[in-house]
Amino acid sequence: MSTEVQELHGVAPDVHQQVMAEAERIRGWGEAAERWARDPVNQPTISNWVEAMGNDNPRWREGEAPPSMAQVWTMYGQGGRAPDDDPLHAMMGVLTDAGFTAVLGTNSDQTYHRTLLVGERVRVTTALDSVVGPKRTGMGVGYFVTSRSTWYVDHGDDRGEPEAVASMLFRVLKFVPRSAS
Amino acid sequence: MSTAHPTTTLAPGHTLPAWSLPITPTLVVSTALATRDFQDVHHDRDVAQAAGSKDIFLNILTSTALVERYVTDHLGHDVDVRGISIRLGAPAYPYDTLHFTGEVVAVAGGVVELRVTGAVSLGDHVVGTVRVAVGEVSA
Repeated sequence: MSTEVQELHGVAPDVHQQVMAEAERIRGWGEAAERWARDPVNQPTISNWVEAMGNDNPRWREGEAPPSMAQVWTMYGQGGRAPDDDPLHAMMGVLTDAGFTAVLGTNSDQTYHRTLLVGERVRVTTALDSVVGPKRTGMGVGYFVTSRSTWYVDHGDDRGEPEAVASMLFRVLKFVPRSAS
Repeated sequence: MSTAHPTTTLAPGHTLPAWSLPITPTLVVSTALATRDFQDVHHDRDVAQAAGSKDIFLNILTSTALVERYVTDHLGHDVDVRGISIRLGAPAYPYDTLHFTGEVVAVAGGVVELRVTGAVSLGDHVVGTVRVAVGEVSA
């Protein structure tokens, strides 16, 4: 039996236990909240992106999409919001309700298996990867929440399994702002 | 296609030329919307300041995209970016400047790994690792 006592940095033990129990429950959903891109990969959206970024690679005018646009295709858009069954959204809600009201993106780790092509339509799933904490940071005491998104292209029944084209580990700090603690 | 830099010279320790990008309100807003990120802190200064921020600030998708551009502008447009892993630090506000520096840290199996830093006046805005497939080195 471990005798190690976890430092809770002022978080009440029952609050911490509830946060970790909810994390385990939501992790159990696995890859959830599947969502299709609003539009297929398309040149006007690519062109707006390359103009804004100042990216003059001619490939992005010739039928390929920039790798780091993978996430762009499945953004919620103006007025959009995550559904209640989205694991990241659900975990954010648990922490907000527990008093960890502020959020800060800390890490984005994207993997691209290939460039997407104009005309392809991607879908994305999201899973809760881990919840780690509480930690004391320069911003305040909080939990690091890591989610995993996977983007797929389907090729139809005759061409086998869905193809994973990109993935992302995304980490946020959900915390009590120092001034409020 | 030609590459901006022959892959034969890519060895650990090879440094990328520095790149400085002035951050304007237009850059912050246009890149946020081009990445379909409509969070108000990336386009509405009043809301950003009410939330305790100095000003609107660059979104994460744009930090990733600018790291991608910095690397591919140097390595050449025919390389394939396989991964971008970034850690976020100081916010990138308008009227500041992003200073990018980078270095090759590993080369193996046709994949070059680079360490890239994008710094602003407040400190490092983004520190990351980029993996790029450069393909076969042609004679």
